[in-house]
Amino acid sequence: MKQALSLAVLLLLAVGLASALRGPSVGAEANRTALFDDQKVNFGRRYTSRAREETGAPNVVASVVVTYRGLDTLGEVAVLFIAATGLATLLHTGRQRVSGTAPEGASLIVFTGCRFIFPLILLFGAYIFVHGHLTPGGGFQGGAIVASGFLLVYLGCRDREPSRRRLNALESLSGLAFVVIGLIGLAAGGSFLLDFLPKGSLYALFSAGIIPLVYVFIGFKVGSELGGILGDLSGARR
Amino acid sequence: MSFVADYLHYTGCFGLVLIGLYIVLVKSNLIKIVIGINLIDTGVNLFLVSVGYIQMGTAPIFSEAQAAGREMVDPVPQALVLTAIVIGVSVAALALSVAVRLYEHYGTLDLSRVRELKW
Amino acid sequence: MVSPILLIAVPLGLAFITPLLGLLWEKPTRYLPAAGMAFNLVVGLLLLPRVLQEPWVVRTAGFPPPFSIHLMAGPLGVALSLLIALVGLLVAIYAIGYVREGAVARYHTLYLLLLTGATGMVLTADLFNLFVFFEMLCISSYALVGYSGDRAGIESSAKYLIQGAVGSSLVLLGIGFVYGLFGTLSMADIARHVGSISPMKVFISVAFLVTGFGVEAAVLPLNAWLPDAHSSAPSSISAILSGIAIKAGVYAVARVVFTIYGAGTIPLLLLVVGVLTLLIGEMSAFSQNDIKRLLAYSSIGQIGLIVFGLGLASVSGVRGALFLVVSHALAKALLFLSVGYMIYRTGSTEISALHGMGRRMPVSSLCFTIGAFSLVGLPPFIGFPAKFTVIMAALEKADPGFTALAAIVLLGTVVEGAYFFRIVQALHFKAPPEGAASEQTEHGEAPVSALVPVCLLAALIVAVGVYPAVLTDYLGPAAMDLLDKAAYIHHILGV
Repeated sequence: MKQALSLAVLLLLAVGLASALRGPSVGAEANRTALFDDQKVNFGRRYTSRAREETGAPNVVASVVVTYRGLDTLGEVAVLFIAATGLATLLHTGRQRVSGTAPEGASLIVFTGCRFIFPLILLFGAYIFVHGHLTPGGGFQGGAIVASGFLLVYLGCRDREPSRRRLNALESLSGLAFVVIGLIGLAAGGSFLLDFLPKGSLYALFSAGIIPLVYVFIGFKVGSELGGILGDLSGARR
Repeated sequence: MSFVADYLHYTGCFGLVLIGLYIVLVKSNLIKIVIGINLIDTGVNLFLVSVGYIQMGTAPIFSEAQAAGREMVDPVPQALVLTAIVIGVSVAALALSVAVRLYEHYGTLDLSRVRELKW
Repeated sequence: MVSPILLIAVPLGLAFITPLLGLLWEKPTRYLPAAGMAFNLVVGLLLLPRVLQEPWVVRTAGFPPPFSIHLMAGPLGVALSLLIALVGLLVAIYAIGYVREGAVARYHTLYLLLLTGATGMVLTADLFNLFVFFEMLCISSYALVGYSGDRAGIESSAKYLIQGAVGSSLVLLGIGFVYGLFGTLSMADIARHVGSISPMKVFISVAFLVTGFGVEAAVLPLNAWLPDAHSSAPSSISAILSGIAIKAGVYAVARVVFTIYGAGTIPLLLLVVGVLTLLIGEMSAFSQNDIKRLLAYSSIGQIGLIVFGLGLASVSGVRGALFLVVSHALAKALLFLSVGYMIYRTGSTEISALHGMGRRMPVSSLCFTIGAFSLVGLPPFIGFPAKFTVIMAALEKADPGFTALAAIVLLGTVVEGAYFFRIVQALHFKAPPEGAASEQTEHGEAPVSALVPVCLLAALIVAVGVYPAVLTDYLGPAAMDLLDKAAYIHHILGV
């Protein structure tokens, strides 16, 4: 009954969407998307044409994420923080000590391999987020890679896991650093998240103003946060 | 048929969204519902990115475009999707922790059997 | 310099500091949310006179709108931020003593982030930024509903989370449509160009946005999560959810409908949905035996009334809706907070356990009575001028349809009066159930940390009820901020 009703509703939705979205077919100009006729304000073009001069970063998406829409990124970092905190709260509050069999230890090969690979994964993640303004990548991507390193530790060499307190402290400090960078911009130039560092030369590592700095902090934050989430879910102690 | 061929990318996005919506509406296992929510999010993100596509466009990074001499696709939807993916992950993580506690309390993940709160 | 961005940045920074402090020393973390909200209150009061004359458009990253995210600190934004700060501060003071078990530092972090999300929502002028702050609000409320970790809390959190997540995805879908159609994300810019897009496509994007935001705003038929969530959460969280969170959802719907799309036929839909929500909310509340569920259904009813006021789409209608927002936030927070300790003392949420509370906890019961009477709309409390404004706005339209709707609203008020009088009578005039005195863990009134906010809320309700001019002077410009599309576009874009 529920199935039939849902199918009917969804079919109706699909037909409605299809009939309403049927717009003119691909028009004369080859670079227009088929569905949406006209971009009233050429938002994208304005960013791609001016990002290099205004922010000094070759990666236009990095400019958009950190500079032009920096407040969104700050909100997103806060949302991830909320999820990690909420997850820790829900998993630990009011819970009796969960008794169960301890997980089986890893074999020697897995154990040794994990210990060896973990720093390499951290290094790779750091490379991604430090070069965020030059190559595709950035804080979130690098942080996710770092977190996968933590997952390897939780699976393979459990007794080498990092201290949860230090991870939490790192997470909070990185978030605070992002807010402080924004406030410095406010104090220095009158706009929150203003780019107050010099732009440097294009394609250099130390260039593009605050973008690499912000990405480093985001990388630390996301890495420690996702690592903490994985630790909580896999049953680590508080 | 030509509709599907012309609007293949949009068919894909909305197909994912509708499948995800079906799962959320019909299934009662909490983990399956979380997967359904993830499918909806994936479909919506795909839709956002495809809105920014320009035919024959290239990635919005300067060295590549200079080499190819082509126009760049719109970078703004990519930034939006970056944020949306993180938000989707956050919701999924929270949902899974709720699932863990729900199983501890009720011994089941079947939401149709978790009906202690009456009308 | 006092910039409106501080209203968002400082509580956010404090929220990051709270866990750090919690690692060192947990006791002081209880005071951080109150400190943050006190700061917001002060900054808001400093900004209010200035923005009444000229709204302040705050840029971020130094680029002009619409190419960067900007905040629109107008009368509506700053007034709502003040309301959020005030109610947030009082509930935070209450929570200092109320939240004692569990990871207290995490509670306060989530609480501060919830309020930051709400403040960000009312201040921003960018559609995707609205979505991000909306997610901040929603996700912290999912986590806080399940804070106590008991069966009811986890079940409610699960259902709330699923519905909220689907709603958020719908909002994102709507934003995708908007970006594809208009090529911009600044609300002023979208408003400028909305006339030149085919109405069918505009309708689809509006439908997705309103439905998605409507899940959080708890309008019919999207409010199935609310009775469970607001009744299973700890009382301080119920107060904030009923008082602030659902209003933020209504604000988002109103902003999308009025400022982006301009009043068209959508307010008629809001009118109908509002009246239906009001009726169903009040009828459901009438037959409840659980006090928190009753208050939750009453919130649904009041949201219906607010949406009805917005649906009138006239200046007096929107003024009435905003007045109701303030009045309901104060009254509902008061009701949940005063009931919180009563439930804690008796260990039960049934109304029958509240019999005779008037003698055991006199101050709490008196304040509860004040809140209840204000919600029903009796003078001299703030609820009276608020409801009066909405009903007068409906009658002003001089249309038999609107008069009929106003009559239905009055009917809803009568039902509301019935069940609240029943509770007040139980509090003051019924004998306590047998064995209650021996069951109580502690005798006497709630502690000072709880009584201070409760009495302050009651005092405010009485004060504004007696001198409504204190508030109504600001409501007119705030309503115009919402309705006047051309002025909004002019302030942000300069055209």
